[in-house]
Amino acid sequence: MSSQRQLFQKLFEDNSKRVYHLCYGYTGDSDSANDLMQETFIKVWQNLDKFRNQSQFSTWIYRIAVNTCLSYLRTAKRRTTDELNENIIENYTEEPSEKQEQIALLYKSIAQLEENERIIITMVLDEVPYPEIADVAGISEGNLRVKIHRIKHKLTEIYNSNERV
Amino acid sequence: MKGFDEIQQLWQGQAPDPNVSFEAMLMRIKGNRSALARKLFWQSIAVGIGVVILLWMCVAVDFSTWTTYLALVIMIGCICYYFVNQLSDYRAISNSHHLLSKPQDYINYLKVFQQRRNRFNTRSYTVYEICIAIAFALYGVEMYFALPLWTFVGAIVFIIFWFLICHFVFMKQYIHNENARIEEMIDNLERIKGQFYDPN
Repeated sequence: MSSQRQLFQKLFEDNSKRVYHLCYGYTGDSDSANDLMQETFIKVWQNLDKFRNQSQFSTWIYRIAVNTCLSYLRTAKRRTTDELNENIIENYTEEPSEKQEQIALLYKSIAQLEENERIIITMVLDEVPYPEIADVAGISEGNLRVKIHRIKHKLTEIYNSNERV
Repeated sequence: MKGFDEIQQLWQGQAPDPNVSFEAMLMRIKGNRSALARKLFWQSIAVGIGVVILLWMCVAVDFSTWTTYLALVIMIGCICYYFVNQLSDYRAISNSHHLLSKPQDYINYLKVFQQRRNRFNTRSYTVYEICIAIAFALYGVEMYFALPLWTFVGAIVFIIFWFLICHFVFMKQYIHNENARIEEMIDNLERIKGQFYDPN
């Protein structure tokens, strides 16, 4: 029990920030991101025994996080991108600074991408290695590279057009 | 005007981190596990009480016709069927095997699960409704011998009226809402699945 707890603590400390970023990029608001991150780690805890023989813990945690995010949209009330964007801006209005405004704008831009693009780009932004992203998303590395190239271009365009507004 | 590298630097320098500590996480895990266990426990208790009451009626009450005993058996069967289905769905949705699947496979699983829930809430509910109606009809034989004629007729009219209201008003509305909700979920899942499709 104690070694299980230690392993879980290490997994939590090593991965919680990136899982949170993934959930935040996907949902567009910090409360939902916190909920989804916790839900992800509850599932990780429940599956610790299955992880013991896996060399790449982070891949499995990401896979659970992605599937948790996908099922979140399944149950969440449909919200328009505008509503998401309002949430994002509200989350950053407590201590507005130029950098925070830029980050809010970045999340707003990510929210305008398709669901799978949001998942892939948040991992790219967090510098997750490409083979790992391909493994998590369940697509070939070749196809992933094409997608990433397209998403980077799309995100940059959306961000810059949002910045001009 | 920013390039992608600048956007990435911005991302990596962001302040909002998860505001959940490891200890809070452990607390939530314990709470979560006991919440599900509590829900299942109280559902089991409710079903158990229902079944025990019906069994007690079979043994303790001296009904004059065999049709009443058959009605009670049908009722017990319906309650158990409903409970077993609920239990199996709880287990299916928390089945960890699917959580580790690739996103396309997981979406497929969710779709199949939703369709199964839909069938349970609609088609199986109709069978359930018919069984309950048969049970009441069988119990009606007992009532026919036990009650004055006009009281019997009144009770039958009330039960038929209640069944018709349930079937044509409440169930129609429920099935319509449930179908619309599940259709929307399945459409969303289809759309997301298409995004993960790998042509290679």
